[in-house]
Amino acid sequence: MKINVQNSISASFTTDLSKEKIILETKNVDLCYVPQVRTLTNVSIQIPEKKVTAFIGPSGCGKSTLLRCFNRMNDLIPGISIKGLITIDGIDIYSPETKLEELRKKVGMVFQKSNPFPMGIWENVAFGPKVNGIREKAELDEMVESALIQADLWKEVKDRLNNSALDLSGGQQQRLCIARALANKPEIILMDEPASALDPISTNKIEETIDELRENYTIIIVTHNMQQAARVSDYTAFMMIGEMIEFNATSKLFTNPEKKLTEDYITGRFG
Amino acid sequence: MQELTKFQKRLKFENKVASGLITLGGYGVIVSVLLIFFFLVSETLPLFWKTSLEKDFEISGKTPISIGMDDYKELVYQVYENGIISYYNIKQKKNVKYDTLSLSAGEKIISSSSTLEKDEIAFCTDSGRIINAAVLLTPEYSGNSRSIVPKLVNYEDFYGKESGKSLENLAFDKNENGNKFWVWTSEKKNVFIKIFDLEEDLNYTHKLTELTGGTKITASAINAETEVLFLSDENGEIFYFDISNYESPELKSHWKASNNEITAISFLIGGNAVVLGSKKGEVEIWFQIRNENDDVVFTKTQVFENHNSEITKIVPSQRNRTFLTVDKSGELHLNYSTTSATNVKFDNEKKGIKLVDFSPTADVIIVADDNSKIGFFNLQNEHPEVTVNSLFGKIWYEGYSKPEFVWQSTGGSDAFESKMSLIPLIFGTLKGTLYAMLFSIPIAIFGAIYVSQFAPKNLAVIIKPIIEIMAALPSVVIGFLAGLFFSPLFEKNLLLIVLLSVAAPILFVVIISLWGLIPEDKRRKFSNTWELTFVFIAMVLVFMIFWGISEPLETLFFDGNVKNWLYSNFNIGYDQRNSLVVGIALGFAVIPIIFTITEDALTNVPKSLTSASLALGASKWQTVQRVVLPAASGGIFAAIILGLGRAIGETMIVLMATGNTPILDLSLFNGFRAMSATIAVEIPEAPVGGSLYRVLFLTALLLLIFTFIVNSLATYIGDKLRKKYARY
Repeated sequence: MKINVQNSISASFTTDLSKEKIILETKNVDLCYVPQVRTLTNVSIQIPEKKVTAFIGPSGCGKSTLLRCFNRMNDLIPGISIKGLITIDGIDIYSPETKLEELRKKVGMVFQKSNPFPMGIWENVAFGPKVNGIREKAELDEMVESALIQADLWKEVKDRLNNSALDLSGGQQQRLCIARALANKPEIILMDEPASALDPISTNKIEETIDELRENYTIIIVTHNMQQAARVSDYTAFMMIGEMIEFNATSKLFTNPEKKLTEDYITGRFG
Repeated sequence: MQELTKFQKRLKFENKVASGLITLGGYGVIVSVLLIFFFLVSETLPLFWKTSLEKDFEISGKTPISIGMDDYKELVYQVYENGIISYYNIKQKKNVKYDTLSLSAGEKIISSSSTLEKDEIAFCTDSGRIINAAVLLTPEYSGNSRSIVPKLVNYEDFYGKESGKSLENLAFDKNENGNKFWVWTSEKKNVFIKIFDLEEDLNYTHKLTELTGGTKITASAINAETEVLFLSDENGEIFYFDISNYESPELKSHWKASNNEITAISFLIGGNAVVLGSKKGEVEIWFQIRNENDDVVFTKTQVFENHNSEITKIVPSQRNRTFLTVDKSGELHLNYSTTSATNVKFDNEKKGIKLVDFSPTADVIIVADDNSKIGFFNLQNEHPEVTVNSLFGKIWYEGYSKPEFVWQSTGGSDAFESKMSLIPLIFGTLKGTLYAMLFSIPIAIFGAIYVSQFAPKNLAVIIKPIIEIMAALPSVVIGFLAGLFFSPLFEKNLLLIVLLSVAAPILFVVIISLWGLIPEDKRRKFSNTWELTFVFIAMVLVFMIFWGISEPLETLFFDGNVKNWLYSNFNIGYDQRNSLVVGIALGFAVIPIIFTITEDALTNVPKSLTSASLALGASKWQTVQRVVLPAASGGIFAAIILGLGRAIGETMIVLMATGNTPILDLSLFNGFRAMSATIAVEIPEAPVGGSLYRVLFLTALLLLIFTFIVNSLATYIGDKLRKKYARY
């Protein structure tokens, strides 16, 4: 499948997604925080299933805003207006029929700064299943264990599941947040610069975790770090001033970008 | 080193001045709080000082029959057995004058009995004569100097003997109408009473031997105010006579008060309590109480330290409920009736005690011993009625059927027994606080949750300042409204008020939840104004419904009057100024404190936590319940504690709206007396340095300690919490 997208800044770009199954799609999304000031302009993108997609771009380009549209976290902001279409599995997530809680269960999120709840480790991971109605302790135990194993944290914390999550190191806390998102058995995991506040070793560990998760989950990661995007992602989208400049397979985008702007950015001429 | 420029010098100087002033301010606050604390402590401590009895001076001479002193402690009179009265000037250290009671040749005075005020004395002679006289010590002023002028006044004398036998057990008293009562025995078994009625100018003499059955009488006491006569016999039996009918004194009852012979009886000030002393050294107080069968009977209520030797004298103070007991071995005890305490034990260096008495001001005790020495002792006993037990324990007060916690600090007369238990006041403060918290906590916390988490922003910015203005409302205004407007309103519409506070919130919640039935996307389209209008209409509707049904309900189920119904069915009385009114008024004062701090605590819960919860698919309410409230719990707790501190210390509202009745009753429909209100009400009645004055300071100290603990707790928890969430 080949699509052509008209973009206001530049000419169209082409993305080869013929081998992929598309899970998430946006069509002509416009977003204003303040009336008449567009933060996202006419964004159209298709996210392939069970792949890692990275959003890169200079600060304020709207990559985090776009990410937050996918689980409607932007809804909370007063005065916001969103136009266009965003579908997941072909269903419009902004339609009145969509249950917000269901959507967020399906689309997990990991934030820039780790934000474990001030509770025990077990309680943190079990939070999602619990609010979604699971009451059976054994079932919760199983979910917690599997989520922690997937997030590569089980070995480190299995003996102290009741200890406060706040006693963990920064990297461990972020992996706990990943585990917490995984416990809901989401289809998509949104990661908003998950390693930006971490040291290189912890970052490496997070990246390894992402690598292990790619088989089973669709991951969309926002990052400032181009090397990170290059290392972990299958596809990369480059955004600027609220517009989607280029979206392509990572190997292609970093080695042979179609756009001059993209090339300038990845070679460090601005940004 | 380089020379400082002018500017640098000025900067340095300004820095010094500023830091000096700021440091001064900081330390000033600490010092002033400490000063207040130490001032309160210093005003309170004298309550607990030990009683002291120290010898001032002594004079030598024969042991007198009777002894006394003037109010200014300048002149001492002594009556000797030969009828001579000497007046001793304390400053000049010599006798300044003599008087003589007219006795026949060879006649000797053997005993005396005086009124409590010592304004008249009856002497009994060995020839069976009773002589009444008064030794008046009147101050006279010439220029700046004062001199005490002694004067002997002779009243009636009569023979009390039947057959030349000597008389014993003389007791005499006179009441404020001038009526006099004498009682005596002859041959230890024949009892006589003589009553002089001043108004009628009539004398009555009765022989009571038939009523006592001729047993050996060992002691007697008479009280002219209450017109009561007490006699005791060698078997420990007490005979209680009502002598108010002068023509025929009546033996009201007699009972065995002790297994031992009762050797001394005396009434205390007020004439209601009687002290008995036995041959074995027991000292007890009895007074009349109503028993289970509703009969009024004399009951033993207080027991004092045993003397281990026969009690020979009981001397009451004319100022308060202090009394002296003396035993045969010469030991003297100073007791206080209310507290059952023996404050001083004194053996007069084993010289024995012949005669003992108080000065008129009760701060000097005069002790005549066997060795012709008369000692004058200064008594320091400022606050005998206050002990830790009397402040915090149950005390058996005169006229009460059992030991109780009572606050009744001042009464109509000097003879009033002050009852200063702090328990009813502490209870009152806690009761008011409890109801205020019950009313304010739910409203304030739900309000804060609504404003910080759910309310549209434009509404929140209106509600917050309005509630903060509530805090600025002077409490005297709230108290005024509560006491004079809401109390009568509540009394008139009691059922409506109860319905509104219990059933209305439930109905209101039901109606509001109808709003939730509208699908979310449609609700979203309505503006916030619509939602508010709906809430407002719901409130009015609920009020109208209850307004409409309260009267029919009252007629239907409560015989037309809830208050009467409560009283007749549950024995619950309704006072107009009650805890319901105070709870709401005090709650009104507390709401802004709890609301503001809770709202801050909720708003300060890190956004990242709520985002995390929402991103995991939790609903808004689940997020509030599982993340926001636990995270803010410390802040909410601190808010409640600070509100509690405000409620404990609040004065005007409880003063104006409670009725100030110091009762121990949790009922919502009667009042209470709070510590703060007590201080405000009673300070004008408390003489500086008096017991009440100091007890009020103690109350203030307790309040300070309460609020100090409460506020420290709030600060401690707040700090701990801030540390916990500092990293977000």
